[in-house]
Amino acid sequence: MELERIEALLALMQDFNVAELELEEEGSRIRLNRNGGAAGVPMMVPAPAMVAAGTGQVPASATPAVPSGHLVKSPMVGTFYRAAKPGSPPFVSVGDRVQQGQVLCIVEAMKLMNEIEAEVDGTIAEICVENAQPVQFGQEMFRIEPA
Amino acid sequence: MFSKILVANRGEIALRVIRACRELDIPTVAVYSEADRNALHVRFADEAVCVGPATATLSYLNIPNVISAAEITDADAIHPGYGFLSENIAFAEAVGAHGMVFVGPDTRHLATFGDKLSAKEAARKAGVPLLAGTASALKSEDEAAVTAKQIGYPVLLKAAFGGGGKGMRVVHSETELRKLYDVTSAEALASFGNGAMFLEKFLPTPRHIEVQVAGDHHGNAIHVGERDCSLQRRHQKLIEEAPAPGISKDLRTRIREAAVQLVRSTGYNSVGTCEFLVEGDEFFFLEVNPRIQVEHPVSEQVTGIDLVQLQIRIAAGEKMPYQQKDVRTKGHSIEVRVNAEDPWNFMPSPGRITGYHAPGGPGIRVDSAVHDQAMVQPFYDSLVAKLIVTAKDRETAIRRMGWAIDEFVVEGIKTTLPLQRALIDEPEFRDFRFHTKFVDEWLEKRK
Repeated sequence: MELERIEALLALMQDFNVAELELEEEGSRIRLNRNGGAAGVPMMVPAPAMVAAGTGQVPASATPAVPSGHLVKSPMVGTFYRAAKPGSPPFVSVGDRVQQGQVLCIVEAMKLMNEIEAEVDGTIAEICVENAQPVQFGQEMFRIEPA
Repeated sequence: MFSKILVANRGEIALRVIRACRELDIPTVAVYSEADRNALHVRFADEAVCVGPATATLSYLNIPNVISAAEITDADAIHPGYGFLSENIAFAEAVGAHGMVFVGPDTRHLATFGDKLSAKEAARKAGVPLLAGTASALKSEDEAAVTAKQIGYPVLLKAAFGGGGKGMRVVHSETELRKLYDVTSAEALASFGNGAMFLEKFLPTPRHIEVQVAGDHHGNAIHVGERDCSLQRRHQKLIEEAPAPGISKDLRTRIREAAVQLVRSTGYNSVGTCEFLVEGDEFFFLEVNPRIQVEHPVSEQVTGIDLVQLQIRIAAGEKMPYQQKDVRTKGHSIEVRVNAEDPWNFMPSPGRITGYHAPGGPGIRVDSAVHDQAMVQPFYDSLVAKLIVTAKDRETAIRRMGWAIDEFVVEGIKTTLPLQRALIDEPEFRDFRFHTKFVDEWLEKRK
């Protein structure tokens, strides 16, 4: 990401009084924080917040590294479940190898259980949502290191 | 009263509903497509859920995603706004089936008024005057020809499930009727999923006058004044006003009473609009819009009644908070719809607004969800803002609208403002000698 672009983003953040901005485009990702890394500072502009805490945007302590890998995003609005039913073992855990087409989780919407499948082969690097938390369209659920 | 309302819409009407909810102390949930991530309705709602990509069918019209969004946020009611899912029976039923309240009439009213033929039947039963025409769907071209002769040409061949000013053709003779019968039915089938058609007497230069109505779940029915929406381009409204100018006191009373009677007779239980065509001193039923409408602000301005709050209160089961005698109009209000279109050829003009200043001051109301640097998206309708001007009388309102339009700056996109500015200067507008074909004819002459 060029310096010019970063400067433009910072100016935008200033104009709209935004404390923290995370942007992903064309394979690169950047997180900008105007409060010297104090990740817990509430945004000045009331940001749209979902009712649950697990939105996948947990402000991590300064992570300069841009996480790589394939992101599995929710194709619908619903509730994320890691297992087929309560009490069952989760479909996958961090570190598991998965194959394309393998069921990773369930997103329940309107009482229908929808199985979400991996689109690539690889290893589960990160699970971004907690069990039984709501997800919106496009929300990141898993990060897979392709192999 | 509801504990949380999900607003199943976008743009200015979503913001309007959010504002009404704020005054009623009801938290709101916005839904948005990826294209609307930075939209004002998203920023001003208490919570927001992304429901899909830019395409409306995959997001704002995505019933499972919208219902899911209400479930995961624990909303107990959904306000559908106008357009989108506001008259969708499957959606209204799904909302109820999931234990939430649809802020609108019972689904049976959506069914009655979604079909123009059953709407006409309901009007006939209520004693509302109808245009001469068929009471049921045409079975054949021959039947159409016989009926058209009885009615007398010119006639209008209309799709029973049409809407938005589409799905109708003027026919001047039997030859023309036979030529257009099949193709009109095919178009209706393609556009509305149903090729059923009926015939109606065609009025060449009527005025379009509609009555704002409200019914509750306890059998109470009132009108909230009428509006004149004759200034349309190809059936799309450009300028609306309340009250309707230049009609006799007798006609005004009769048309308002007919609308109330329709609500009483059908048991309609939300806010809505009864539309009529007026020619001379006679009025004829056109249709009912079983939802809040774009032009509702002009009625609010002259009556002081918040129609969206009323709609929410009725949906929550409250008894009608107004009696008919409480509804009085004061002054005059005019609204122009600022659309992101070329004012002369109406080509859509989406893009980023690079400069924005809305007029203000006494009697100026702007309902809009855009701002400087906002993106006007190409995926949705072109309404960018509504400029509503109110004054002590019509003449003052017109003058005020003139300078308000002059003060309204929208740069980076084209808008219909220059057209509306020119229209309000026309003598026909000032003398209210206009009708529904006026704008189309005026535009033709300009070419």
